[in-house]
Amino acid sequence: MSPDRVRIDRRRLHVVREEERVAAKLRDATQRMFGRSLHIRTVDTGSCAVCESEIRLLSAPHYDLHRLGLFFTPSPRHADLLLVTGPAIRAFDRALEKTYGAMPEPKLVVAIGACPLGGVYQEDEFVHGQLERVLPVDVFVPGCPPSPLALLQGLLVAVGRLAEKVGAEDFTTLGEEEAP
Amino acid sequence: MSADTASTLLLDRMDVESHVQAMAQTPGVRFADFFGSIEDDQLVIRLVWALDREHEYRVVRWPARGTGYPPLSEVAPAAFVEECEIYEQFGVSPGKGRALNRLVIPPRAEHSFPRLGTAPARERPLPHASHYVSGDAFEFPFGPVRGVGQESMYMGLVTSGEELIDLYLLQWHKHRGIERRLRGEGVARALFVVERAEGLSAVGNGWALCRAVEEIAEVSPHPAVNRSRGVALELERLYNHAAAIVALCQSTGLAVGQAQGEIVLEQLLRLNAAVFGHRYLFGVLAPGGTSRAADADALMTTLPPTMDTLRRLVDALWTTNSFVDRLESCGIVTPADAARLGLVGPIARASGQDIDTRRDHAFGPYRDVAVEVPVRATGDVMARMSVMVAEMEESARLALDLAGAGLGTGTVEVPPATGSALGWCESPRGESLLWVDLDAGRIRRARVRPGSVRNWRSFDDAARSRNVFTDIAIIEASFWLTVAGLAR
Ligand code: SF4
Repeated sequence: MSPDRVRIDRRRLHVVREEERVAAKLRDATQRMFGRSLHIRTVDTGSCAVCESEIRLLSAPHYDLHRLGLFFTPSPRHADLLLVTGPAIRAFDRALEKTYGAMPEPKLVVAIGACPLGGVYQEDEFVHGQLERVLPVDVFVPGCPPSPLALLQGLLVAVGRLAEKVGAEDFTTLGEEEAP
Repeated sequence: MSADTASTLLLDRMDVESHVQAMAQTPGVRFADFFGSIEDDQLVIRLVWALDREHEYRVVRWPARGTGYPPLSEVAPAAFVEECEIYEQFGVSPGKGRALNRLVIPPRAEHSFPRLGTAPARERPLPHASHYVSGDAFEFPFGPVRGVGQESMYMGLVTSGEELIDLYLLQWHKHRGIERRLRGEGVARALFVVERAEGLSAVGNGWALCRAVEEIAEVSPHPAVNRSRGVALELERLYNHAAAIVALCQSTGLAVGQAQGEIVLEQLLRLNAAVFGHRYLFGVLAPGGTSRAADADALMTTLPPTMDTLRRLVDALWTTNSFVDRLESCGIVTPADAARLGLVGPIARASGQDIDTRRDHAFGPYRDVAVEVPVRATGDVMARMSVMVAEMEESARLALDLAGAGLGTGTVEVPPATGSALGWCESPRGESLLWVDLDAGRIRRARVRPGSVRNWRSFDDAARSRNVFTDIAIIEASFWLTVAGLAR
């Protein structure tokens, strides 16, 4: 092939490199800390359906969450991370509480998009406006919607936080406290 | 009547029933919307008919004093959802003793729960099937927290374990009071909210809003700017239909097809970002025009190869028996039902309804270009997929043609006007209607009716028609509706 037929789109190359960089960091972190299995559950508290679309794309070939040791799980009982979209609709409180409550400790809440930050709906009779009013949020991923790459970056931060939480647990006293 | 008009007719309450009888029996007349608004402390009801062959929308209004209005759904069954809605939002029902469903008011909601008008004297009970139904059937509760990356909604599936006997949906979990929120807002803020009412139809719903507002203010954007809007609308259809194909592959367990589809979907979203600066085309529209310049070069160079990838995928899918077998005769909506329930968009077209607002009520750039409308007769999942594939080809052609004619950006000034108008657009989910009443540029009442509202109406029928439990996911994928759009 003659040299003039090799065309490199530098903008694309940059995006690809950026993806790879974030992905590699995330993979290393999950491998080191969670032995290749960190499980994610999602919950929608009134999104416009677009944040869901970006979350679903995390398992698409371009991003491929599985190769990084992260998996989606349908059951909150198997989940380490809860990804929450939407402005925290009041009518949904009970379902959200049950989902969060079903997750084992240590667990983490990642708020996805501008909605749970209060950037789309103000607090009113319909919505809490900010997710923090109902759940302890560990990581916010801003954007309307955040792109899958931003979501990966957010997960990377979350994995670090989860590791801190695991480190802070005093497993030796667990159970003793509950003894009569 | 010339193309793309909406006329308004004031009726006496006594004449409503005979009017509805006459309209519902006229061939080519489609029930499109039905809603209330409070004007001078009075409830006024509006009914929108689409006369597709005559290229006209007819808005009929009458004051609903005292007893309300005659039960329209008896003559026009499509009106049932809106009857329920008017009851829970304004407390007025179509005659005594009518069984209405609950739509967006959550259970255990206080009487003071915010609504558009006064709360009804008695709240409707939630639809419910007992867990032990009869014989071997039981209700399988699914939701509101459903699969990963799926919207919240409750599905009550009545099943014997395999066969699906009945199904009902509860969608109040996502009600954000969009129409109530819009009251008193300026037009720019209203557009921001409408785009996010159903983000996957941001351009479709947003353009309908812009058109209503521009009509009231008597301004129209430059043709080149309208072409940019057209490109955005076609790109929205492209990525949505691609996403539906991905969902179809996923629901039939076709992992390779799903991955291939996701590649196309991601390419289309990146194309959106390259052309308009946003993966889901938020913020492209502005009242009076567009706010983002379109990169026509990016479109011309990237869309054709992406379509080639799509075509390879579709060819492979059509020759994969394990895929096609699941689609055939699955989730049938008969042409009669599609007409009876006033369905719109690809679902209606897959069930023999030859309708498309871009052609029948041509607006903006579609006045100058011909739109091919694919129609299929069988009404099953296969027909819906086939319609979507054909529409993608047409959308790609339209986007390239429009771009070839030159794209513009910028806005004309929209003066703060007073008055009301109906705006419409063909979103990926079908006809989207936005009726707006402005008072010096501020919204007095905005009625948001995305295509999803009409089409969810046929989901239970489709699901019940000789299907088994595992077909539900396939049918849902082929409908490709949003809960956000209905529960807005
Ligand atoms: S943050 Fe934006 S994209 Fe995400 S759900 Fe909210 S409105 Fe939609």
